[in-house]
Amino acid sequence: MSLDAIPIHVINAPPIEAGLTGNAPPLLRELAEQVKRLLATGEASAIDLSALPLTPADLDWLREKLGAGEISVTLQANGESTLNETACPGVWWVTHHNERGAVTSQLIEVALVPELVKAHPQDVQIGYEYLELVLSDL
Amino acid sequence: MQGPLIDTLARQGITRRTFLKYCTTLASMMALPPAAGLAMAEAMAAARRPSVIWLPFQECTGCTESITRSHSPTLEGMIFDMISLDYQETLMAAAGHQAEEALQAAMKENAGKYLLIVDGSIPLDMDGAYSCIGGRSNVEILKEAAAGAAAIVAMGSCAAFGGIPKANPNPTGAVSVSDIIKDKPIVNIPGCPPIPVVMTGVLAHYLTFGSLPELDDKGRPKAFFGETIHDRCYRRPFYDQGKFAKTFDDEGARMGWCLFELGCKGPVTYNACATVKWNGGTSWPVESGHGCLGCSEPDFWDAGGFYKALSVPADPLEFGAAAAVVGAGAGVAVSFANRAKKRAAKAAHQTTTLADLEK
Amino acid sequence: MNELQFLTWVRGPGLDIAVGIFVLGVLWRLFEIYSLGRKKDLAAPRHAAGASGLHTVFRRSIPPPGGVKRSPVSYIGGYIFHIGLAIVVFGFAPHILLIKNLTGLSWPGLPSQFIDLAAVVTMAAMVVVLVDRINKPVKRFLSTFGDWFTWTVTFLPVLTGWLAVQHLLLPYTTMLALHILSVEILLIVLPFTKLFHAFTLFGSRWYNGKVNGQRGVPV
Repeated sequence: MSLDAIPIHVINAPPIEAGLTGNAPPLLRELAEQVKRLLATGEASAIDLSALPLTPADLDWLREKLGAGEISVTLQANGESTLNETACPGVWWVTHHNERGAVTSQLIEVALVPELVKAHPQDVQIGYEYLELVLSDL
Repeated sequence: MQGPLIDTLARQGITRRTFLKYCTTLASMMALPPAAGLAMAEAMAAARRPSVIWLPFQECTGCTESITRSHSPTLEGMIFDMISLDYQETLMAAAGHQAEEALQAAMKENAGKYLLIVDGSIPLDMDGAYSCIGGRSNVEILKEAAAGAAAIVAMGSCAAFGGIPKANPNPTGAVSVSDIIKDKPIVNIPGCPPIPVVMTGVLAHYLTFGSLPELDDKGRPKAFFGETIHDRCYRRPFYDQGKFAKTFDDEGARMGWCLFELGCKGPVTYNACATVKWNGGTSWPVESGHGCLGCSEPDFWDAGGFYKALSVPADPLEFGAAAAVVGAGAGVAVSFANRAKKRAAKAAHQTTTLADLEK
Repeated sequence: MNELQFLTWVRGPGLDIAVGIFVLGVLWRLFEIYSLGRKKDLAAPRHAAGASGLHTVFRRSIPPPGGVKRSPVSYIGGYIFHIGLAIVVFGFAPHILLIKNLTGLSWPGLPSQFIDLAAVVTMAAMVVVLVDRINKPVKRFLSTFGDWFTWTVTFLPVLTGWLAVQHLLLPYTTMLALHILSVEILLIVLPFTKLFHAFTLFGSRWYNGKVNGQRGVPV
């Protein structure tokens, strides 16, 4: 049953829109450091956005500053996940949803390819066995 | 079914990526660095399922309900596959002596390695006769099971702090796990019932890092019990503005204002309800219009009433009227004494005449 | 005893005891003081403009000419911390709730940011007044144990209340319990120390004004 069936209308919903807190700009600086480290050592890193005091306006500001890149990956695993490259190659905006579509976590990953996108050798092995099976049936 | 966890999951059609995604979210909820999600996924995927023994004592099964009904069929339910739950009276198929044999077998096989989960308080009065399983008292079973446990998780407010059975006048002499067991690491996961993800988070932490998460002074995982409900409440701005609901059906209540005056215990309650929420993130007590009861704090049942604001007296003032009478009486008595003194002084007063002075 | 039990005790039996002693002490002292009575002045009253009890009650709230210049800290500091205390005690929503619960009287609260500012200003003024009392040889000479003691029991509730709201030093629950405990100590000692001026202030001003008014002297 949805709320529509009950004669309730929420006057003061939890605040969705709020202004800029000034917490977003330092994140760009941290990202720059992480990208520098990726270039120097190849080490991947990430910023967990759900754990930071950011308002929706802050997130919009960040997204706008980072822009959109060439690659968008959509993953269907227990709900949708999107991994979008930003205008800075190597910086990925990652959003995980649950099966009802609610955001469960949101992060910015700095990596050549996000870990989630790579296929695991064990899984590749299973795929290879499947291929063999298909070939033997031909 | 022994073997790496990832194989168990694969058999259930849960892919590695789903698992990695789950671990990322879990790490985020536990306030671990993002890289921990990957580390967790790798460690847990390779981990062998540890043996877990779940002992129910003086309890209402609400904790079990909370864990099993979390929001199945999602990963919280599935996470039970990470562990080998060798004894859980409510969930296990075996019953009676068979069940007790399973408990003994699990304790012997995994001595020193199993994780012991306890829900419910332990009665001590009348030699623990108030709650027995298979003719043995809870305290006896707990001491035996704790001896071989690697660590103990006290699930719910009863196991963690004594909970409702311990509420005044505590007829059964109920105590918490930590009141009895002193020589084992104990994690308290209080709440009535506790939040499912806290449980899975502690298990994941234990599997990943081989240790228990960081705990506060009451033995609760800091990641979930680090801040008060009040500090994380979306209605907090109304508290700061001085806007309060005065009754449950007034204008303020409809406007979603702060419930402090209606007895909300959010300011003194440490828990994660405000951020993790309940029923799969649907809502939580304050969002549904009722103040926090403070159920994850010790002795919440005796903390002066659920509907009394924190700043008002916990009990009705009994001495006020008597004190007023005694005070007024004392004042009147002293004033009579003073007047008597004055009168005595006046009576003893001798008039001095000019003749006296010239003598 | 854990901190929630501590809080429940100070909200329950502790408050009961403190309010009991407070009510007892206040009534005792008021009866005692006002029943002393005064001798009738048999001289014919003289009249002068501005010489009456009521005039003095108000006039004494204003510094005498040149007073602020002579001892600025006493007047300005004193004013600030008294007004600040009134704002914090009677303007903070949880305090109003307590008063409403005890007496049935209620009024709208002030925003907590404003209360916060008032508390900080009050504490600053109280510290300045204390430092002045220590630094000025005459004031120091005149000070007794009662002066230092009453300053402390007045300062502690403001400090602990502010620390609790700001989540400083100790967990909120413990700090809130300490705050309530400090107020209970204040309530208990109030009737029996110079803090009783909260009750006798206007009465004694009226008395002084009236006695001098009878002689035609506005004071």
